Parts: sequence; structure tokens; C-alpha cells
Amino acid sequence: MKEVYSFTKSRELFSRAEKIIPSGIYGHQGPAEGCYIPVDAFPFYSERAQGSYFWDADGNRFIDYMCGYGPNVLGYNDPDVNAAADAQREKCDCVTIPSTVMVDFADLLVDTVACADWAFFAKNGNDVTSLAVLTARAHTHRKKIVFFKGFYHGVSPWTQKIDYPGILPEEVANNIYLPWNDFQAIEDVFRTQGDEIAAVIGQPYMHGNFFDNTLPAEGFWKHVRDLCHKHGSLLIIDDVRAGFRLDLAGSDHFYGFKADLICFCKALANGYNVSALCGGEQFKSTVSGISFTGSYWMSAVPFAAGIACIEKMKRKNLPELLRSRGELLASGLRAAAEKFGYDLRITGEPALPYFRIANDPTLALHQEWVAECVRRGVFITNHHNHFMNASLTEADIAETVEIATEAFSVIKDRHTK
Amino acid sequence: MKNTDERALAFVNMFAVLGSIPRLCELDENAAALADKDISIGFSVKDGPRATLTFGGGKCTLTQGCDSPDIKIPFGSPKKFNGMVDGTVTPIPCRGFLKLGFLLKNFIKITDILEKYLRPKPADMADPEFFRKSTLLTLNVLVSAAAQLGNEDEVGRASAGYIPDGNVRIAIGSDATVWLNAKNSRLTALFSDPGDITASMTFASLELASDIFAGKANSVAAVGTGGVRIYGMIPQVDNINRIFDRVSLYLQ
Repeated sequence: MKEVYSFTKSRELFSRAEKIIPSGIYGHQGPAEGCYIPVDAFPFYSERAQGSYFWDADGNRFIDYMCGYGPNVLGYNDPDVNAAADAQREKCDCVTIPSTVMVDFADLLVDTVACADWAFFAKNGNDVTSLAVLTARAHTHRKKIVFFKGFYHGVSPWTQKIDYPGILPEEVANNIYLPWNDFQAIEDVFRTQGDEIAAVIGQPYMHGNFFDNTLPAEGFWKHVRDLCHKHGSLLIIDDVRAGFRLDLAGSDHFYGFKADLICFCKALANGYNVSALCGGEQFKSTVSGISFTGSYWMSAVPFAAGIACIEKMKRKNLPELLRSRGELLASGLRAAAEKFGYDLRITGEPALPYFRIANDPTLALHQEWVAECVRRGVFITNHHNHFMNASLTEADIAETVEIATEAFSVIKDRHTK
Repeated sequence: MKNTDERALAFVNMFAVLGSIPRLCELDENAAALADKDISIGFSVKDGPRATLTFGGGKCTLTQGCDSPDIKIPFGSPKKFNGMVDGTVTPIPCRGFLKLGFLLKNFIKITDILEKYLRPKPADMADPEFFRKSTLLTLNVLVSAAAQLGNEDEVGRASAGYIPDGNVRIAIGSDATVWLNAKNSRLTALFSDPGDITASMTFASLELASDIFAGKANSVAAVGTGGVRIYGMIPQVDNINRIFDRVSLYLQ
């Protein structure tokens, strides 16, 4: 039997935090948006991290399948990426004029990403999805943006919904929401509003929260691509979450089409803070004319880290490695679930697996299982896709399956008494 | 910036504010004493809600429709009905003139008691029993208003559109439990146990619930402290909370 963790120091810290930080921990890494259910099963604060593990404030070690919600792609504290970052830090980081390394990083991205003729750097995924939409509107002189329901493209007002606090109806008035994989719906919207649509923005597959993740239907992206071409609209791929984990040339390349603009962030620099918008030559002039910048957007250390990260991902053939690790994890977890009569659905791409116990449609049983895994040292979340990273070993996966099996046993006992 | 509309407010006033009089009569003996006479009052709002309050035996019930009440009060618009509720419009019945005594005395007194609980003075809230009744009554209003806004308010309908079908339990510790049913993006407030639930949101205490209802605390923050516990189909809880935010706009 695995030790069941306690989180005394996390709670003490949170008591301090909630007095001085809105909601204690805001956003997706907080207990509310992170769906920590029940909340007392989860650690709140980390102390250190290495490879595939983090240790919380109470010293508990976790095998981490969230990877900082994506940035940890090679392993926490990867020595090669850290060495490159350290070397650059010795030279310069945030300076009045950008470092030469910025040009090297752009060169590498253009060489790596299939649809990229240029690269524009910022800090977060939201920065570059917003720039992509600005670019589409500036280029087409049109207002409307097509989204696929279940999307997440950041937190700027245009990405939010009409009922979110602080959002004006006008800010989302030009958003069109369509069902994912619905050929007819997108054809209809282009037929009726095609001359008003600046862009279609989509994640490479539907990896939204709370529902099984769905790959693109055969021919769907080609259909969307053709409609965008026909009507003069841009096709924006938000590859912030899946980028590089499926294909180092971009997830559009993985699914056999070419985006006009593609957004990267999470896996770009193994945790160093940088994001990038890449795109075709025909849009470079438009982007050049857009006023869009930030205090730290040209910091050199993340550029150096990004170069080291991409080069190492290439050396390791990262997408294939993550796929095989993801498949190994999925087969182990499915077999463990079956032993107890549970139907564990694992959807999406193996490098970013989404879990759901299908025996209980309310998701409460799934939440119980996740809680028991976390209490024993496997950090997974209830309703978000997970992230594989290159440092995860077969031994880590075996330990994960062992803990997951014990968690299944606990919930089975609870519900058969 | 408030982005509210009179028609949706009329539905809230009818089914959440006046609709809480039945619960008031259960909680407050003075209100119950005023509800002793067998009489019904119907409210008919042009292009808006229609409902009848039926009193008798110290109790009250609310039913949809306004077919044959003892006293019928028509309103030419939602705005005029809302004016009656906020005290700026004097209601003029078109039927039941011989029973106006109840309307002018008992009913007015009942609504005064209701207002005392729903817009409480700090001094009154210092009394634990008053505080308990006020919070429980507010829970009823909140849930009923959420159902109305999920159906009648443009932004509320957007939130309701994201709520999967099922019953959501909303509880304050062991003091009170109500439910919201979602079906095909239509919401219904329920005050008796529907059986199966698909999600749950429980406030740890009357005090926390009161603070959240009054806007002094936030339910997102309270999830972290364990003051609000949620489980099940979280998109239901999440989107209901978005509608609760709208309720506070309408009932400010």
C-alpha cells in the first residue's frame, strides 16, 4: 500500500495566500479552475521539480502528468536547456536592444515549422493567439472569427464568452461558434457570411475540458482549409497546447494541411517564458504594421533556452517518444481499470491523453479516482488533458499504473460497501 | 453596463421575489398569521409573466397563470409590474374590489416582512434566528431567480446553453437544500428532492453563504478554502455560478 499524503504546509501557505492574493491561487493552477475535487486531496504549492517529478511544500513526491500544463516537455530542469539559458544569462537577457540570439531562434523556428516563413515572439499563448486574430482582421479588413465549441484560446476578452465577468457583449459580438468536426456547419457559415469572416481559429484537435477529446474527422481540416482559401479567410492553428508534442513541424503538418498562422508556447522552451506566432510570407507585412509588444518579449534567456529545447527535441525524436510513452501509459491504465470493472476512456493523442471513467456520467466517480491517485503521488487532473514529457521512464509508468490500481481498488471498496 | 432588461426582471420579480412568499410563510410566523384568509391574487403582465399567489390557513402557494384569481391585477408592461415590486407604481386591480382589504393590509404587510429579510439591516442580522431565516430565504430567491434568468435573460440563456441536463443540488450545510434542474437548456428551481443528482455545490455554513449571496465573498475563492465544496458535472456548477452573478445584477 502506498503512503497517503497529507498537505499541512500547503494549507498553511494557502491560508496566508488567500488574504493577499485573489482566490489564493488564481487561474488554471488554482483549486477552483483546476477542479481539485475534493480540494483536500490536492497539494497547492511546489517546493522543487526534477525530470518527471515535483515535490510539494510538504515534501511529497509526485509523478507529474500535467507538466506545468505543458511547458515541461523534456523534463524539469533539463541540463542542456538550463546550460544554454545559464550561458545566455551570463551574457545578457533583458536589454535595451534585442540580443543576437533572437535572430538565431527565429531562424531555427523557420527551419523547423512547416508553415513558418517568419517568427514573432511574445510571452504567453494568449499573446500570440491575440496577435493572430489582429493579423487576420488587419489583413482581411473583416470582423468575424469562427471558433469551434470547446475551444480555449487564452483569456483576452475576444476569447471569452458573453457571460464571463467583465466581458462586454460587443467584445464577443463577432465570434461565431460552430460544432467541431461539423462539415456542414462550417460550409453553411461560409456560404452565408464568407465575405465577413477574417479567420477560422482552431486547435489541431478538440482537446477541450470536461469531455472526451476528439481527433479531426477524415478530411475535416482539408475542408476548412479549402473554404478559407475560397473565401479569402485565414486559417489560424492554436498549437499552444499540442505544439511540438505531435510533430516538430507543427500540428497542422501532422494532420496534413498548412495553416496560415500558427501559435506556439508551452513546449517551446521547456519552461522558459516565450511564445511565438509563425506564418506564411504573405502575412509578414501585415504583422509588421501591427502595434504589439511587451516589456519582456525580447528577453534573450528564453530564446537561448528555446533553441536548446528544439534542438534536443529533434535529437530525441520527441513526438515518437511521447507517443510510445503515452500508449504504454494508456494500455497500463486501461488494464488496471478493467480489473475492477471500470471503463476508463483515454482519448486525444497519446502524447496528451484525456481520461474519463465512463461508468458514471456525472463524473463524480472519476473525480474520486483522480483524488486517490493524487493522494498517493500521481498528479493527474479531473477534466483537462494530460501531458507526456521526454524524461518519463517506463519505471515511472509502471509506478503510475501501480498507484492507479490501488486508487481503483479504493473506490471499488467504497462503492461496494 | 448593467445590461439587464425589464422583461427578465419581471420574471425574477414574479417567480423569485413574490415567489418566495410561500417559503416566507413557512419561515416567519407573522407572515403565516397574515396568510390565514382564503384568497388568491393574480398578477398578469402584458408581454411578461403571469402567476397567482393563493393564501389560506397560514400558507401560500404560487402557481403559473392568472385565470381566475379572487383579485386580479393587470400590468400594461413588465416595467409597470417591476415598479409595483420596487414601490414606485401603485397596483390597480381589475377584479376583486370587495376583497381589496387583504391586498391593502395583509399582502402589503407580508411584502414588508419579505423586504425585511431580503434587504436586511445589519442590526437585524445580528440576531441569529433572523440571520438564519434571511439566508435561507435568500437561497430560495437566488435559485428561483437563476432559473428565470437562465430562461429569460439573454446572457443567462447563453450560460444555460452550456449546462448539461441533470439536477444540481445546492445546499447550505445541513440547513437547507434546493435544486436546479436543467433540461434542453431550460432551468427549473426545485424545492423537493428530485432523486438523482448530477452535480453538487455545498456552502459550508450559513455565514459563508450569506457573504457570497451579498457579494462579500466569492465562490471561486471559497472552493480553495473548502468553504464551497463541489463535485460531479462541473460545467453545470460553473455555469450556474455565472447565472448567480447575473442575479446579483438584477436584484441589486
